[in-house]
Amino acid sequence: MKRDPVVLIVVAMVVSLMLAFGLNKARRSKSPGAVATNKLKGQTAHDFTLQSLDGKTVRLSDFRGKAVMLNFWATWCEPCKIEMPWFVEIQKQYGPQGLQIVGVAMDDADTEDIAKFTKEMGIDYPILVGKDSVREAIANDYGGMAFLPETFLISRDGTVVEKILGLKSRSEIEDAVKKTLGPDGAVQIQPGN
Amino acid sequence: MLSRVIVIKTALLIVLLGAPLLAQDSPGRKAPSVTMSPVPLEAIVLGKPGVVDLHFRVASGFHVNSNSPSEEYLIPTALKLDAPTDIVIGGITYPPGEDVSFPFAPDQKLNVYSGDITIAVLVRPLSSVLPGRYAIHGQLKYQACDNAACYPPKKLPVDFEVKVSKAPTAARKNPGQSPNVH
Repeated sequence: MKRDPVVLIVVAMVVSLMLAFGLNKARRSKSPGAVATNKLKGQTAHDFTLQSLDGKTVRLSDFRGKAVMLNFWATWCEPCKIEMPWFVEIQKQYGPQGLQIVGVAMDDADTEDIAKFTKEMGIDYPILVGKDSVREAIANDYGGMAFLPETFLISRDGTVVEKILGLKSRSEIEDAVKKTLGPDGAVQIQPGN
Repeated sequence: MLSRVIVIKTALLIVLLGAPLLAQDSPGRKAPSVTMSPVPLEAIVLGKPGVVDLHFRVASGFHVNSNSPSEEYLIPTALKLDAPTDIVIGGITYPPGEDVSFPFAPDQKLNVYSGDITIAVLVRPLSSVLPGRYAIHGQLKYQACDNAACYPPKKLPVDFEVKVSKAPTAARKNPGQSPNVH
């Protein structure tokens, strides 16, 4: 059977593209950050203790019973600043259903500067700060934190259900929040939370 | 014939739709880097300033803040140098940054460096310095981002040498030479 060379060339192009796409996808999923954070999904979120901007000691597990959106950010991170106004609105919208956004400043800036920054950004959800060594340990527990922003969605029972690496669209973030809250988020609110 | 056209059109459509997927970058795919080109030995005359150009390259797909970033909290690219005694770093001249909008903030312009940048260092050996080769060490602090994420600040070691030499002696006139040629 005689084959049309043009069709063969075109088919070869398509196959090459598919192979390249597959290799590219495999390479991305093998990047150190991706591997480490992928392991976190389905696992109990590592607990940690940090200080709030007003000096109170806060444990991640203090928020057990709520769906937690744990956002790692820094003052020098422009994409982080894009998300922050969304987070304020998302907290307002989904807070009554049991969402609690918690920000962790992965910053060398001093607490005063971080407080000033968060005030300027109008952030009204808790922002936690800590010493370098504590932050490094937390970063390691959450996949190394090679870049910012990184956000982890944690279910009411403390399980990591979703991760958002880098800046994503607001709709993607909201979808992750809805997934974490569950279909009947409002019903699941526990008394006293 | 018709089926051939359909196959070609379908394939081209797949290729056109697929190419952007390949081009799409997710953060963390590769580490950001700033590299420095080797610096040729710069000859500088005692007591006179000389300029040493340091060439850096910001890896493709990344940008770093300029030396004068557009926002207070951004970390500027900054060179710090330690010179031997009596060799003075007279000044560091940074290139102007480029005002660029990024997909994460299309309405905002950030003053950044990308690609190749040259930082000029003014080196002035005092007259007390002995002629010879002198090493100057330092570091370039930068903080890189791509289109969706930012990477922690880094410090790139910077090392180069200058060769300090005496000022060339002026050619002396030959006094008292006989006007007669023998």
